[in-house]
Amino acid sequence: MAAISLDHLTKVYPDGTRAVAELDLEIADGELVVFVGPSGCGKTSALRMIAGLEEITGGTVRVGDEVVNDLPPKARDMAMVFQNYALYPHMNVYDNMGFGLKMRGLPKSEIKRRVTDAAAILGLTEVLAKRPRHLSGGQRQRVAMGRAIVREPKAFLMDEPLSNLDAKLRVQMRAEIARIQRDLGVTTIYVTHDQSEAMTLGDRVCVMRHGFLQQVDRPQVLYDRPANLFVASFIGSPAMNLVEAEVGDGVVTFGPHTIRVDESVLGARPGLSRYAGRTVALGIRPEDLEDTAFAPDASSDSRLTVTVDIKEDMGSEVILHFAVDAIPVKTEAVAEVVTAEAIEAGVAQTHQRGTPFVARVERGTQAREGGRVELVVDTRRLHFFDLESGEGIYGEVAAPAPVAA
Amino acid sequence: MTVGPPAREVPSSDEGGGWRSWGVTAIFLVPAAVFLIVWIVYPTVYTIIRSFFGRDGFNNFVGIDNFKAIFTTSVLTTAIKNNAIWLGVVPALVTAIGLIFAVLTERIRWSVAFKTAVFMPMAISLFATGVIWRLMDQKDPNKGTLNAVIGVVHDAFSPPGPLSNAAPSTPSIVGSPQTGLVLKTPIAPGKVVRLGLTAIPPEDVPSGAKQAVQPPPKPGEIDGVVWRDFKPGGGVPGKVEKGELALPNVTVNLRDSSGKTVQSATTDDKGDFAFKDVKGSGYKVAIGADTFRQPFAGVDWLGSQLITPSIIIAYIWVWAGFAMVVIAAGLAAIPRETLEAARTDGGSEWQVFRRVTVPLLAPVLSVVFITMLINVLKVFDIVLSVAPGSTQTDANVIALAMWRTSFGGVNDFGLGSAIAVFLFVLVIPVLALNVRRFRREV
Repeated sequence: MAAISLDHLTKVYPDGTRAVAELDLEIADGELVVFVGPSGCGKTSALRMIAGLEEITGGTVRVGDEVVNDLPPKARDMAMVFQNYALYPHMNVYDNMGFGLKMRGLPKSEIKRRVTDAAAILGLTEVLAKRPRHLSGGQRQRVAMGRAIVREPKAFLMDEPLSNLDAKLRVQMRAEIARIQRDLGVTTIYVTHDQSEAMTLGDRVCVMRHGFLQQVDRPQVLYDRPANLFVASFIGSPAMNLVEAEVGDGVVTFGPHTIRVDESVLGARPGLSRYAGRTVALGIRPEDLEDTAFAPDASSDSRLTVTVDIKEDMGSEVILHFAVDAIPVKTEAVAEVVTAEAIEAGVAQTHQRGTPFVARVERGTQAREGGRVELVVDTRRLHFFDLESGEGIYGEVAAPAPVAA
Repeated sequence: MTVGPPAREVPSSDEGGGWRSWGVTAIFLVPAAVFLIVWIVYPTVYTIIRSFFGRDGFNNFVGIDNFKAIFTTSVLTTAIKNNAIWLGVVPALVTAIGLIFAVLTERIRWSVAFKTAVFMPMAISLFATGVIWRLMDQKDPNKGTLNAVIGVVHDAFSPPGPLSNAAPSTPSIVGSPQTGLVLKTPIAPGKVVRLGLTAIPPEDVPSGAKQAVQPPPKPGEIDGVVWRDFKPGGGVPGKVEKGELALPNVTVNLRDSSGKTVQSATTDDKGDFAFKDVKGSGYKVAIGADTFRQPFAGVDWLGSQLITPSIIIAYIWVWAGFAMVVIAAGLAAIPRETLEAARTDGGSEWQVFRRVTVPLLAPVLSVVFITMLINVLKVFDIVLSVAPGSTQTDANVIALAMWRTSFGGVNDFGLGSAIAVFLFVLVIPVLALNVRRFRREV
C-alpha cells in the first residue's frame, strides 16, 4: 500500500490528441479516489498511465517516494480491474486468480491460501474449477476483483469495473467494492463515467473534462460547491437546472420569476456583489424545488408557479418536468453534459420552449400533467456561475481564470 | 463446447410426396456426383487396383510385391527417410517462424510493408520458387547469391591471398602453397635471394607490376626479389630475365634458425624486398601461407549432403508468410486487455507470451501446423525444381518418387501406383485429425 502522487501528468497521443493535461493529484494511502467524466475526458488514459500500460508524455507518477514513470507494469505492483474483466479464458477461476502470484514466484501453499481466502470473501468457492466462459457476468466481475485482491498490491486500479453489469447487480457490486476496499485499506483509483457511482464510492472524486481536471474534492463538496458549470451539471441526478438570470438587490430574476436570495447565500458568496445588475447562470438543484403544499411556511418571494409537462412517479418521490420562460444556459460545458443525458434519457429537449426544469418533490404532490403547480425554491441553496467563464461565483475571485475548453 | 445445431424437422410436403423430393435431391446431387466419380472415385479405385499389378499391366498380378518394393528399394527408402525429415522439421519451423514474425510485426512501424514482403513468395508458384532458389544456391560465389553473401563475410574475416595460384619455379624453394614456401638454403646478411614463382595465371598478377629487378647486395641486409619466373617461349628457371614481371605486395618473412619469424617485408613494384639490420646467420626466407590462401569456394548447397536442407529452406521461405498472416490474424483477435491484465499481474513479456498469448493462439497454431503436415507429406514440385538431376535421388521425397517411378523414365505404373496408395494412407490420419478439429470448432 502506498500513496500515489501525480505531478503534471500529461498524455498526448501521436495524432496530437491531448488526452490528459497537466494532471496534479495527491492520493493518500488507503484512499479511494474516483475519476469521473464523460467519455473522452482522459480518465482512462490517466489510469493507464498510472498502471504503466500507456506511455507518459509528460509529468511524473510517484508511488510512495518512487517515480515509476519508466517502470514496466509488472514492477509497479498495482492490480487492475478491467471493464471487460480481461480474464484468461484458457484458465479456470483458481488459476485466473493465482496467475499474478505464480508470476511472482510465490510458493504454491501461499497461492492456495490467498486464492481460497479471496474466493471465500467473494463467494467464488463453488466455481474455482470452472472456466470464465461458464460464469455469469457478476461472477466474472468477482473473479476479476479476486485476481486483484489476492495480489495484495500497492494499489487497485479499476477501469469502469461495473459498467458491463445490469443495473441491480451494479448497485450490489458497488457496495461490495466499497466494503472490500475499506476492509483491505488499499489505495484505489476508480474510473467511471457514472456520477452516481463516483459519488457513492469515492472518498474524493476528480471530475475531468477534455483532459483537464475540473474539480477534486469530497462528493458532498462537489455537490454543494461545484467549481464551475461543468461540474454543476455533471454531478447530481437529475441534473441541476441552469438558467440565465439577472442579479438584483438581494433578488435574482429569471424570466417572469423573481426570487429572494437568502442572506446565507450572499454571505457565502461575497463575489456575487460584483455581478449586481448583470446576467449570470443561476443553478437550482431539482431537490431544492418543492411543492408548496409541503412547505406552507415558505415566504411568497421564493415561489414560482409553473405548468407541469411530465410527471414521473418514482414511488419514493415525484419528478416534475416543466418549462420556465427564460433563456437556458447554453455554454459548451453544459451542452456536453445535457446532450449526453438527453440521449441517455431518450428525451428530446429541443422542441421545448424556454428552459426545461426538473423538480423533485414529495410523493404526495397533487400536481398533474398539464396542470399548474406552485413550487417553492430553497433560497439558501442557490448556485451562481459566471456566464463567460463558467466559473462558480464564490469568494473574492475578481477575474476567474478561464476554463479551458 | 460441442453444441450441435438444433435438430430441425424436415417439412413434409403433402402434395408431391416422397418421390418428388427425391427427384429434387437427385437433380442437385447429380452434377457434383458425376465430377466426384470421374475425378476422384474412379482414379482412386483404378490406382489402388493398379498397384497390385506389375509394370507390364493388368496381365501381371504381383500381389503386394510393389508395396514390398517401396521398403526395399534404396531410392524409395531414401525418399521415405527424406519425407520423415521434412515432416519432423518443416511444420514446426514454419509455425515457429510464422509466430515470431507475427508477434514482432505487431510492434513495428511499416509492419504492413514487412508482412507484404514476407507474404509475397506465396504469390509465386512453388516450381518457380524452386528455380529461383536453385539459381541462388549455385556453388560458385560469382553465380549463387547465397554463396556470394557468405563469401563476402568469409573474405572479410579471412581474405584470399594476393596469389591464390602459384608454385615454386626451382627446387631450391620447398614447401607448398598450403603451408608456405621456404627457401631451402639458410642465408646470412649481405646476400640476395631470388624467390621465383610460376604457374600464376596472367589475371592473377597484381596490376602495376613492373619488370622484376634483382636488387644489389648490401652489408647487414638480406635483400631479395619475388617475381613471376615465367617467360613466354622459354627462359631459365631461377633467373630474373627481361620480360618477367615483379610480384608486388607479397609478404616475405625472415625466420631465424628456430623457425620463428623475426622480420616481415613487403615487395615493391619491382618485386624487391629488404630485411635491414640483420645480425648472425642461419636465416631462412619464406613466403607465408596467407599469400596463397584460396578465395571462398562456395558451399555446395545443391550437393548430395545439403540438398534436402536447401530445399527445406526454400520451402520455409514460401510458407513462412502464410503462417505469419494466419497467426497475425489470430493474434489480432486476442483482446488487448487480456494481455494488459497479464502484464499488470506481474508477467514479464516472455511470461505473458508463453502463458497467455501462445495458449490463446493454440487453435490457430494447430491450423497452421496441420496444414503444413499435409502440405509437407505431398511436397513435390519444389524438390523437382531445386534439385539438379545429379542429386535428385538424394533429395527424393515420396511424391517425387511416385512421379519419377511412373513417368520419369522408369515407367513402372504398378510401383508408382503403390507409392501413390502409400502416400494416401500416410495423409489419412492427418486429415482425420483435421476433420475432428473442424467438428470440435463448429
